[in-house]
Amino acid sequence: MSSDAAIRTGAIPERLLEPPLTEGVVTPGSLDDQVLAFPDLRPPKQWYIGLAITLTALVIGFSFIGYTIATGIGVWGNNSPVFWAFDIINFVFWVGIGHAGTLISAILFLFRKRWRNAIARFAEAMTIFAVMCAGIFPLIHVGRPWLAFWLFPYPNQRGVWTNFRSPLLWDVFAVSTYFSVSLMFWFLGLVPDIASMRDRTTSKVRKTIYTVLSLGWRGAASHWQHYEKAYLLLAGLATGLVLSVHSVVSFDFATSVVPGWHMTIFPPYFVAGAIFAGFSMVVIVLVVVRETMQLKNLITMRHLDVMNKVILGMSCLMGYSYMMEGFTAWYSMNEYLHHTFMNIISGTYGWAGWLTISCNIFIPQLLWFKKCRTSYFWMIFVALAVTVGMWFERFVIIVISLHQDYLPSAWRIYKPTMVDFGVLLGSFGLFFTLVLLFARVLPVIATTEVKAILPGAQPSHHGDDHE
Amino acid sequence: MSSGKSFAVLGLFDSPDALMGAIPKVRGKQLGTLEAYTPYPIHGIDDALGLRRSPLGGMVLVMGILGAITAFGFEYWISAIDYPIVTGGKAPSSWEAFVPIMFEVTVLFATFTAGLGMLLLLNKLPFFGHPVLSSDAMKAITRDRYALAIESEGEGFDAEAAKAALLAAGATQIEVLPEPDRGPFLSADYILRVAGGIFAACVVAGLAMFGAVKLFPVLAPMSHMEDQPRLNAQKADPFFKDGFGMRMPVAGTVARGYLPLGVASQDEAASLVNPLPRSPEVLAMGKKIFHNRCELCHGALGNGVPTLTAAYGAKPANLQAQQFRDYPDGKIFWVITMGKNAMPSHAADLTETQRWAVVDYVRALQRAQNATDQDVKEAGAR
Repeated sequence: MSSDAAIRTGAIPERLLEPPLTEGVVTPGSLDDQVLAFPDLRPPKQWYIGLAITLTALVIGFSFIGYTIATGIGVWGNNSPVFWAFDIINFVFWVGIGHAGTLISAILFLFRKRWRNAIARFAEAMTIFAVMCAGIFPLIHVGRPWLAFWLFPYPNQRGVWTNFRSPLLWDVFAVSTYFSVSLMFWFLGLVPDIASMRDRTTSKVRKTIYTVLSLGWRGAASHWQHYEKAYLLLAGLATGLVLSVHSVVSFDFATSVVPGWHMTIFPPYFVAGAIFAGFSMVVIVLVVVRETMQLKNLITMRHLDVMNKVILGMSCLMGYSYMMEGFTAWYSMNEYLHHTFMNIISGTYGWAGWLTISCNIFIPQLLWFKKCRTSYFWMIFVALAVTVGMWFERFVIIVISLHQDYLPSAWRIYKPTMVDFGVLLGSFGLFFTLVLLFARVLPVIATTEVKAILPGAQPSHHGDDHE
Repeated sequence: MSSGKSFAVLGLFDSPDALMGAIPKVRGKQLGTLEAYTPYPIHGIDDALGLRRSPLGGMVLVMGILGAITAFGFEYWISAIDYPIVTGGKAPSSWEAFVPIMFEVTVLFATFTAGLGMLLLLNKLPFFGHPVLSSDAMKAITRDRYALAIESEGEGFDAEAAKAALLAAGATQIEVLPEPDRGPFLSADYILRVAGGIFAACVVAGLAMFGAVKLFPVLAPMSHMEDQPRLNAQKADPFFKDGFGMRMPVAGTVARGYLPLGVASQDEAASLVNPLPRSPEVLAMGKKIFHNRCELCHGALGNGVPTLTAAYGAKPANLQAQQFRDYPDGKIFWVITMGKNAMPSHAADLTETQRWAVVDYVRALQRAQNATDQDVKEAGAR
């Protein structure tokens, strides 16, 4: 009663007010000076060290990819019946990482969660880089990557068309659409920011590049009107898309008859897992960015706190999914499904099953405590655990289900090779190299969007009362 | 900047409130088109400026529906009409599996319409010739200032009156801008025309390709494994001097399993020793071969009573005759290997081991047909 009365009278108690989204005094000008200055500054020593590490991983990984392409995918551990192993695990893992970016930039935009503005740009960039990493794996798994364009339905001299009933083709469409839409969304957000950089840089070369990239954006009110509409529409489209992409990825498994894959829970379960893993990766990167780029006043502890709450919620959802998997196995009274589930919690790969459950369900429960949600040590600990756990979740789904299915004579224990690990390392190298380069050449925070939510950024009263 | 003629007057304001306050004051004077330039979107400014609602939503809806129809039509035509294959026992025309790709293509069409439609069609970007871009005020506008401009393309633009109106409305700084530089390159129109041309060319090329494949189905611009440089058996080839594609083996080459016997006549062959033991396996092998190859002429008992050749008047040897019972193994082996009279050589069809096995079986037949009482007793005892 008291809260209602307070809102009616306008005297809202302090605890009900939304805390400010930035710390200290931030004006549009100071924001530009803080965020857009990076590309003009010399990078610090840590940046070069980081780049050296990630580039080393990148070079090692791509040497292994070159070796794979030159020799053939027999150099991997995959063999009958585990034809899908590291490559598909890594593909699903990276696509999942990407989903957090779209969730932050699109779904939270639709929900008018204004705290997203400060972290949306970085998350979107991570989406694009993650999808690039994901794309590598199916590409090299086809064995002859120079013929990968055969995946697309185009009129060809062979007179053959693709099979539209195959979930793998749905995947081709889903992932390439996802990449295009994410890129469009990201670029659209960048245009006004690049225009700001164009107008503040003193270097001629940079000015030319930014002028072309910003397309001559001039901030006209008539342009902003279409721009906001486009952004809203894109957010709505991307929301549907992000839910569809990982659902389609899960169809690769769910439409088959392999025990442990053939389940209706797969699409929502995959989407939840993707957001879970993606948010953890965003937390890891944001903590580093916040510390090394002096952005503590813009990416506040409150942002990290809220992110950690999302991670906690997703962890509970994952726990529910795991329990449902067990329940389905028991309730189906299907001995094959039962066997596969028992393989997860015992059996040769039982350690992977328990690692998954511990990292994804038990460890994130620490985030119930505010102390853990606002402590670097604990949030990084949880985020790393989730990253490892989610990678192993895909390992559990793919390898455990495949290595023992209906035909006991075909059962086989899967062992990855050095090349498998090398290519995985390379994808991390690519991802973090791109993240580091992005942090130096483009605005890491959507300054335009943050300016619009600063105190006093909007007219105190607007609308019809001007006339 | 092509001419000295003024195109617009621009006034800077310090806060969004000041800008919003100035708009109705200036708008009432009808001096030209009003346009605001701001670092971020200002709520309510479109109503204040009297801007029409953005038509983008309708465009996106139409293109999204078009995307869905395109995807469905494409999938249906391919899967049910042009290249029908049965997958998972579904009829070629079953449409349920087409939905995921329909959705993706819908989103793709809608997204590109929203993004590129907004930039290229509605906002006419990229455009680098606008005077605001090269104005002194631009740096402030993309940073933290709010500008209101009175613009007019036609004659009779009263720049002085516009200046006065903006100053009266509270502008802190005034700038007069020249006409836009409408160069042909890198403007939205130019890009749209080029992109449209490329798109049309792609469609034409795609359709032409499709037609060409239907007309010339054997056309294979890309052959991977079918086309291999090699010599074909029994074919001439100019690579070698004698013009033969195949090569003769080196003189004196011996094929595996075809070592020469080392004897020149049947009499010499008497010295050859049967290397095989007289085991049930060897006799079974010999029996089988005898049935297949020898029985037809020599009879099932080897007694020369033919089952077939009588019709042709041939006289196959009676292997039960004393002459052949006295032959050493080697001489029988020689006959099988080299042939005798009308009998052809079996060397090409039977290995040495098989030939020796036949010899053993013939020996068994001879003994069976001329058994003594002692033999019968021994067989009975066993």
